[in-house]
Amino acid sequence: MKILVCVTSVPDTTAKISFTDGDTKFNKAGVTYITGPYDDYALSRAVELKEQHGGTVTVLNVGEADAEPVIRKCLAIGADDAIRVNCEATDSYFVATQIANIAAQEKYDLILMGRESIDFNSGVVHGLVAELLGIPSLSPVMKLDIEGSTAKITREIEGGKENLEASLPLVLGCQEPIAEWKIPNMRGIMTARTKPLKVIEPVGEGLTSTDKYELPAPKGACKMILAENAEELITLLKTEAKVL
Amino acid sequence: MNKQYSRRNLDFMLKEVLQVAELTKFSYFQDYTPDMFDMVLDTAEEIADKILRNAYVSSDRNQPQLINGQVKVHPAVKDYVKAMGDAGMIAATFDYENGGQQLPTVVNAASEMIRGSANNAFVMFTGLTAGSANLIFSFGSDELKEKYAQRMVTGEWTGSMCLTEPQAGSSLSDVITTAFPQSDGTFKIKGQKVFISAGDHDIADNIIHLVLARIEGAPLGTKGISLFVVPKFRANANGTEFNVDNDVISTGIYHKMGQKATPAMHLTFGDKDNSIGYLVGEANKGLSYMFQMMNEARLGVGMGGTYIASAAYYASLEYAKERPQGRKLNNKNLEEEQTYIINHPDVKRMLLFQKAVVEGSLALLLECYHWQDMIHALGKTSEEAKPYQLMLDLMTTVAKTYPAEMGIKAVNEGLQVLGGYGYTEDFPLEQMARDVRIMSIYEGTTGIHSLNLLGRGVTLNNGKAPQLLFNEIMKSIELANTFDELKPYAEKLEKELGRLQKVTMHLLSIAAKGDNEAFLADANLYMEFFGITTVAWIWLKQAIVAKQALITQSLEESETSFYESKIHTMKFFYHYELIKNYALATRLTDNTLLTVDSEKLGVFQ
Ligand SMILES: Cc1cc2nc3c(=O)[nH]c(=O)nc-3n(C[C@H](O)[C@H](O)[C@H](O)COP(=O)(O)OP(=O)(O)OC[C@H]3O[C@@H](n4cnc5c(N)ncnc54)[C@H](O)[C@@H]3O)c2cc1C
Repeated sequence: MKILVCVTSVPDTTAKISFTDGDTKFNKAGVTYITGPYDDYALSRAVELKEQHGGTVTVLNVGEADAEPVIRKCLAIGADDAIRVNCEATDSYFVATQIANIAAQEKYDLILMGRESIDFNSGVVHGLVAELLGIPSLSPVMKLDIEGSTAKITREIEGGKENLEASLPLVLGCQEPIAEWKIPNMRGIMTARTKPLKVIEPVGEGLTSTDKYELPAPKGACKMILAENAEELITLLKTEAKVL
Repeated sequence: MNKQYSRRNLDFMLKEVLQVAELTKFSYFQDYTPDMFDMVLDTAEEIADKILRNAYVSSDRNQPQLINGQVKVHPAVKDYVKAMGDAGMIAATFDYENGGQQLPTVVNAASEMIRGSANNAFVMFTGLTAGSANLIFSFGSDELKEKYAQRMVTGEWTGSMCLTEPQAGSSLSDVITTAFPQSDGTFKIKGQKVFISAGDHDIADNIIHLVLARIEGAPLGTKGISLFVVPKFRANANGTEFNVDNDVISTGIYHKMGQKATPAMHLTFGDKDNSIGYLVGEANKGLSYMFQMMNEARLGVGMGGTYIASAAYYASLEYAKERPQGRKLNNKNLEEEQTYIINHPDVKRMLLFQKAVVEGSLALLLECYHWQDMIHALGKTSEEAKPYQLMLDLMTTVAKTYPAEMGIKAVNEGLQVLGGYGYTEDFPLEQMARDVRIMSIYEGTTGIHSLNLLGRGVTLNNGKAPQLLFNEIMKSIELANTFDELKPYAEKLEKELGRLQKVTMHLLSIAAKGDNEAFLADANLYMEFFGITTVAWIWLKQAIVAKQALITQSLEESETSFYESKIHTMKFFYHYELIKNYALATRLTDNTLLTVDSEKLGVFQ
């Protein structure tokens, strides 16, 4: 089985977010990058499926060279090779085009990725890739088993779960508990260096550009009001918070 | 639980101060790239987050039990050893041919900092297993390597180090466990070992004990001690399985003050005359083999003092930021809300003291590990490696003792920051205070290491070792002199270095008169002096790198404050700790021998 896992390199969830160049660029200075947590689940399941069924796992990142530590980590966890499309991931459609372009050349049985990235959180890339390739896509997938050319899938839906079957090839957006995150081991770390990482140039151009980023308003200080002073609360909601 | 160590500080030490990327230029480390070191630390973080931290308190409250001759330990110990084995991290620093990955020891130490600050007791299991496997790989036969050591590096089996006996603690020359030669080349072992950490448990199918014993008829003293592999279960007749009980009995389990999750065992070998041992290397060389391995273990104990103190520092720091109590000294207004205790100068002093000890000790230890790596890189027997070997021989004892002794004090200050709450089980400080207490006792007490430093270290190779170290210190002093802010501190250090040399000369002149008791009576204080001086150096070294970063780079706010805090803490160390040298030197050059004479005068009544 040939599996492609698309991964994002995203700021650590505790990173301090700020912008430069008149708020048009994300300030990368001092920010630690991690594999997108949902992508990490997808990769872990891909490595498990490879262990069960044989085959290969290729990691794909659409991004700049500073994503390479994250890609190496994916190789250390068990992917066989990696591709980086050398460009800034400007928008979902542009990213999906790159993924579809590669997937169209290599016939993958499964294209896995996180249900969404945790930087821009648009959660549409899997759908776009599937559309561009003309194959089905499902998300968010919490359980995935392969029997022959059939995928048995459990998907989270509003208020419950849905069990389905679908034929390969497929594009899937993954989330927990599809697999447990894997810890890279020393052997993996050592061999990751010699595993192939191919850098290719993008096709087409991004369709959007960023005018300006804005941070959410800082959280206001918390004011404690004694229960017996409910009147004061109402006054404050009216005069300060202006929500009444 | 929150932060227990600073990854930023580890990065600072590895990347900026020690520049470990340079190691990858040597063929021994050529398979590494610097980002791989980050990955190793990430792996350590995952193991700490997923297994170690969660079990820290519960494994203290549910101590190992000896039931029907078998010890049961906390179940998470097994998860931890398995995770380490699976990750290939038990023996990561070993040569490739010995199942290792030739990871620089300095990176491994950083990984230990991460794991140990989360759960210092569990880390003992993998440390002892690596140490005993390393002994077999270094000195054992191919058969011993294949049969035992290979299965230890994967965590399938674990190891223990059996040195101590009831009458032979500090004085290992008094070991009396005996090995009786058998016609097939094996030995029957008979004797008692006490305080054997991880000497029994239920997490692995076999335990490989490395036992110091005296072959029947061997000469007295250290020259008659040999080293044996004694498995808990030995191979059956056709060698297919290790299921024959090897007569190693768990006679008792110690009920300890701390590190409770690691059982310390009283083991009896050969009670039924059926405990078979296999000689490691040559007869009568056991203690020298053991000492080579113990040097690494000693740095490991220094790390123990450091990572527990680190966990205590961050726990007390967090508390100090959240606990309102009292008002600032200049504020008499009772209408105003109470201030947080971190705003009281005395609390700040306690916090700064902890930070100075933790980051100073860590830096000293990593410097030593880095020397170890340079020895690997340059080739153990090469001329170029010699200076590193000499400095390491001299400093191992200091890098074990300073972090151990000061770690105990630092944790104690951490507990003090929490006031009454620190004394309760609601916070981890009391456990940390119990855990850290062992560090100045095992792997040689502070008393013994101090004798070693003054009695042997400073005269090593005709004083070549301290000379090399002083040259290194002088290099830092010269560099620091080029920065206005650091110059006064470089001057202070140079003065202290002079003082240290003077004191050393004074003591050596007593030694020259042949009175060892007078010479070594205050060796412990000499150790303290030596430790403070070398940690002052290592603080200056950090401050230089911080100052360079502040001058040459345009930094984000958090980075600026990281580097400024380095320089501030260096200053704290000089103004609050280095000054203690004055008192120590006064004592060390004062010939009134009150301790030597006290017995005669009947002081202890
Ligand atoms: C929790 C724990 C775990 C341990 N794990 C192991 C293990 O895994 N394997 C193992 O083999 N051992 C282990 N030990 C034993 C440990 O190494 C010894 O306890 C230690 O070496 C001290 O020996 P002792 O307890 O007999 O003390 P002693 O040697 O009796 O020392 C008592 C005091 O006298 C001082 N003293 C002794 N001799 C001299 C001297 N010549 N000059 C000046 N002062 C002196 C010492 O500094 C000390 O303060 C462990 C001990 C503990 C408590």
